Amino acid sequence: MVTSVISQWLSYPVASDRVLSMIGIEVHWAILQYVLGLPFMAFIALIIYAVKKDETWKKIALTLTKGFILVFAVGAATGTGAEFGLVLLWPNLTEAAGRYIYFPLYAEVFAFLMEVIFIYMLYYGWNRFKPWVLVIIALLAFSGSWFSAAMIVSVNSYMVAPTGIHPAYDPSTGQWLYSQGYPKLDLYLPKSLVPLLNVTTLTKLGMTVSGVTPDSVKVEMPVRIIQRLAWESWHGVKVKDSILMLVVNKTTVSHMSKEQLNQLLNTPVKAIVDKILVNTVQHEGVYTITFKSPVYAATIIHAIGAGLTTSSFTVMGVYAFRLARGVESEEYKKYAKKFLKYSAYFAVIIIALQGFVFGHEMGRAVAYYNPEKLSAMEGVTTQHFSITRTFHLDSLMKFLAYGSTSAHMPNYDTITPNYCQCKAAPNPDIKTCKPPILIHYLYYTKITLAVLLGVYALGISYYVWRDKKSKWLFKLGIAGIVVVQVVSYLGWAVREIGRKPWTIYGVMTPDVAHTFNPAPVWEVALVALYFLGMLGILAYAVWRIMWVPGSKEMMAK
Amino acid sequence: MMESVFWLAFAFGFHIVLVNVAITLGILAPYLRWRSLKENDKALEKVAREVTRLLAATYGLGGVFATAFTVFLLSFYPEFIGLAGNIALAPFAISILSIVLNFFTIVAFYYGWDKWSPRAHLTIGFFMALTFLLIPLGFRAVFAFLNTPQGLYFEDGVPRLDLIKALANPTLPPLYLKSIVGALTAGTFALAAGYAYRYTRTNDEEVKRVSLVFVQKTVPYVLLGLVTMVFLGLWYAFSLQNVEYKFNNIFANLGWSVGNGVVHYDMSWLFMFKMILVAIQFAAIIVAYNAIRRGNLTSGVTKWMIAGGIVALFTILVGEYLNAFSQYPYFIANLNDPKVLAIIPKNLVPALAQILSLENVNQLATLRGVAMLTAGFMTFLVISAVYYLYIVLKPRTN
Repeated sequence: MVTSVISQWLSYPVASDRVLSMIGIEVHWAILQYVLGLPFMAFIALIIYAVKKDETWKKIALTLTKGFILVFAVGAATGTGAEFGLVLLWPNLTEAAGRYIYFPLYAEVFAFLMEVIFIYMLYYGWNRFKPWVLVIIALLAFSGSWFSAAMIVSVNSYMVAPTGIHPAYDPSTGQWLYSQGYPKLDLYLPKSLVPLLNVTTLTKLGMTVSGVTPDSVKVEMPVRIIQRLAWESWHGVKVKDSILMLVVNKTTVSHMSKEQLNQLLNTPVKAIVDKILVNTVQHEGVYTITFKSPVYAATIIHAIGAGLTTSSFTVMGVYAFRLARGVESEEYKKYAKKFLKYSAYFAVIIIALQGFVFGHEMGRAVAYYNPEKLSAMEGVTTQHFSITRTFHLDSLMKFLAYGSTSAHMPNYDTITPNYCQCKAAPNPDIKTCKPPILIHYLYYTKITLAVLLGVYALGISYYVWRDKKSKWLFKLGIAGIVVVQVVSYLGWAVREIGRKPWTIYGVMTPDVAHTFNPAPVWEVALVALYFLGMLGILAYAVWRIMWVPGSKEMMAK
Repeated sequence: MMESVFWLAFAFGFHIVLVNVAITLGILAPYLRWRSLKENDKALEKVAREVTRLLAATYGLGGVFATAFTVFLLSFYPEFIGLAGNIALAPFAISILSIVLNFFTIVAFYYGWDKWSPRAHLTIGFFMALTFLLIPLGFRAVFAFLNTPQGLYFEDGVPRLDLIKALANPTLPPLYLKSIVGALTAGTFALAAGYAYRYTRTNDEEVKRVSLVFVQKTVPYVLLGLVTMVFLGLWYAFSLQNVEYKFNNIFANLGWSVGNGVVHYDMSWLFMFKMILVAIQFAAIIVAYNAIRRGNLTSGVTKWMIAGGIVALFTILVGEYLNAFSQYPYFIANLNDPKVLAIIPKNLVPALAQILSLENVNQLATLRGVAMLTAGFMTFLVISAVYYLYIVLKPRTN
C-alpha cells in the first residue's frame, strides 16, 4: 500500500524538482517559524519587564532575542535560497506571479527591511534603550515578520484557491459538479476581445456569463480551459494552433481582411491570455487580489499560529530538559523555572487556539474551496485504507467541515479523473486530476501528534503550576521540539502535496510552471542533501552557541 | 529616468556598497583571527572581533537590498526573470549555494566566537572567506552573460546555456577580479579611515596603539589595490571591445571607439567622473601614506583618509552604475550584434527584443499608488537603517 501511495504522488509531473522545492522551502520554514514566534514572545516578556521591573524578565527577553538573531540570519539565507529556487526551478510560475500578483511580493520587501532593521536594532541596542523603547522596537520587529508572512502567505493562498474560484462540489447533495464545467474561475474578458469569441460554443463548454462592466464581460470560465490556455501560453503556441480556434466567432473573422486574419492567427496565445489576466487583475484589484483569496484569512492566522506554537514548544522543551538535568546555581534555577512557566503557559494557550480556532477555520476553508483535497485528506474512499472510516469519524468530520451532520463529505472515488483536462487537447503530463491520497495519512499523523503535543504541554503546565518536577516528562521536552517541527511540516506538506496536480489551483500545472532546462536528478539530490546538511549544522551550531558553555563562561566559573 | 530603473538602481546601489564592505570584513576577520592566534595578540583579537561584529550587524542589510532588487526586477520585468530563470540555473546556483553557506558561517563565526575550538573557529572563518569569493563569481558570470551572451544556444526554439562556454566569457575574468580587488581596496580604505578616526578621538592608549597598527598595516594594501585596479580596469575595457554598443557608449566620445563608433547612450561623463574619484583616492592615500608609516597620524592626515575612504565606496557605486547604464536600455548589451542575432531563431527575435528591453515595463507595477508606497516606505526604512548603523558604529559607553 505504501508503495502505491507514494508512487501515485511521484506520478505527478517533475517529481524530483518538487521534492527539492519541498526540502528547500521546508528548511526555510523550519527556521523562520522562530522569527514569527520568538520576537512576539520577547515582546511580551519585555512588557512584563517594563511593568514589573523584574530583571529576570529582561534576561528572558534577551535570551529570546539572541535566539531569533541567530536563526533570523540563517532564515534570510534560506529565504534567498528558496526565492532563487523558485526562479530557477519554476521560472514560468515566477514570471506569472511577477506579472499578475506581484504586489504582495513587492510589499514584502518593505516587511523584510523592517524585520532586518528592528530585529538587529533590538539586539545591538539592548543596553542603549529604556525598557519601553525596547518594547516598541520589539513590537516593530515582530510586526515586520508578521507583515512579511502576511504578504507571502497571500500569494500562497492565491495558489491554493485563486480569487474568484467556484469549486466543483455541493456538500448539501454530495454531488461533484464537473458535468456543469466546475471548477470555474472568474475572468473579466475585455470587450475588445468578446466579438472574436463564439459565446454559444463557450457556454456549451461550461462558461457562464455572470456580469457586464463598462469595459468587460465577467465570466465564470471552466478551469480545464484555463489550464489549457496556460499550457499553450508557455509553450509558445499561436492562435492558429490553439484551442481558441474552436471558439472563434466565425462571423467576425469572415469580415476580417486577409492581413488582419493572418495577424490574428499568428498572435501568440500568451498575448491574448495576458490581456484577459491583466484586465481581470485590474478589476479584482491590483493590490488586493491575493488577499481576497477565500482561504487567506484562515491561512495567515494558522501560519502565524504555527510559528508561535513551534517557538513556545521549543523554548519549553529546552528549559524543561535543562531543569530535568539539574541546575547548580539557584539564581539560574529561578530564571529557568520562570522561563519554563512562561513558555509552557504560552504553549498551552497557543496550541489550543491553533487546534480549536485557527486550524478549524483552515479546515473549513479547505472544505469549501478545495473539496478534492478535503476528500483526500479525510480519506473518503473505499479503495484505500481510511482512518476516518476505520474509527467511524465520518459524522464528526461532516460536522467540523460543514457545521452539519446532514452534509455530505466529498467522495474521493467519484472525482472525475480528468476533470482538469481540456478534452480537445489533454495535457499528456497530467496522468490524473485526483489529488494524492498520501495526504490522508500525513494529515492524520499530524493531527495525532498535535493532540499529543497539547497533552504534553498541559502536563508540563500542571507540574510548573504545582512547582514540581517530573524528570522523564521534562526530558521529553527535546523530543517535543522535533515533534512540533514535524507537525508544522506535515501541515505544509498536506497543503502543498494536496494541491496536485495543480501548482496554481485551476490555472497552472507543475509541468507548465517548471523550467525548460531542468537539472539532472543527481544534481537535484546533491542540492537537497546540501540543504538538509545545512539544517543539521544549524541545529548543532545553535545548540553549541546557546547551550554549551564557551571558554569565557568556563573561565568565569 | 524611468521609475522602474530608478528603484532598481536605488536598491542595487545600497546593496553593492554594503556588499563590498562585507567582502572586506568577511575576508579580513578570519585573517586577523588567525594572526591573533598565531601571535597570541589579544589586541588583534579584539580588532578581529570588532570587524566581525560590524560584519554581523551589516551583512543582513546588504542582503535585504539584494532581495529588494530581485523583487523590483520581478515586478517590473517579470518576463526577463522568467527567461533568466529558464537559462541561468548553473551560474545562479553557484551564488545561491554559496550565500546559504556564507550566512551560516557568519552566524557561527561571530555568535560562536568562544564556543568553538580555535581550529574549528578558523575553519569556519576560512569557509566564510571562501564563500565571500564564490558569491560574486556566480553573479559576475551572469553580468558577463549580460555583456555578451556567450554559451547561449537554441534547441527546438528553447533557449539553453552551455555552462563551460558561458564561464569562458572574455569579460568574466577582468570583471570578477575587478569586483574582488575593488571590494577589498575600497572596503579596506573605508575601514582604515574608521580606525584612523578612532585613533584621533580616543584617549585609551591601547586602543590608540591598535588603531595605528591597523592603519599602518593596511595602507600599503590600499595603495597596491588602487594600482592593481588601474590594470584590471584597462583589461575590462579591452575585453569590452567585443561589446560594441557598451564600449562606444563609454569611450567613443573620449576618442576611443570600435566598429561604427556610434554613441547611443552617452556614459563618457560618468566614466570621467569615476576617474576623478579614483584620482582623489590616489591623492588621499599618497598624502597619508608616509605620515602613517612614520606613525604620524594627525587630524589632517585622518581627514584625507576619511575623504579617501568615503570616495572609495562611492567609486564602487559609480563604477557599477557605469557598467549597468552603458548598456541601457538593453538587458543584454550586444543583443543587436549580428553574431548574436545569428544564434537566435528569427521568429523569436521580436519577442526576445521585447523581453530584453528595460523599456518594456509591467504596466501593473507602475501604478501611482505603488510609486507613492515605495517612496514612503523607502524613506522611513532608509532613515531607520541609517539610525541603526549609527547605533552599531557608535562607541559603546558601557
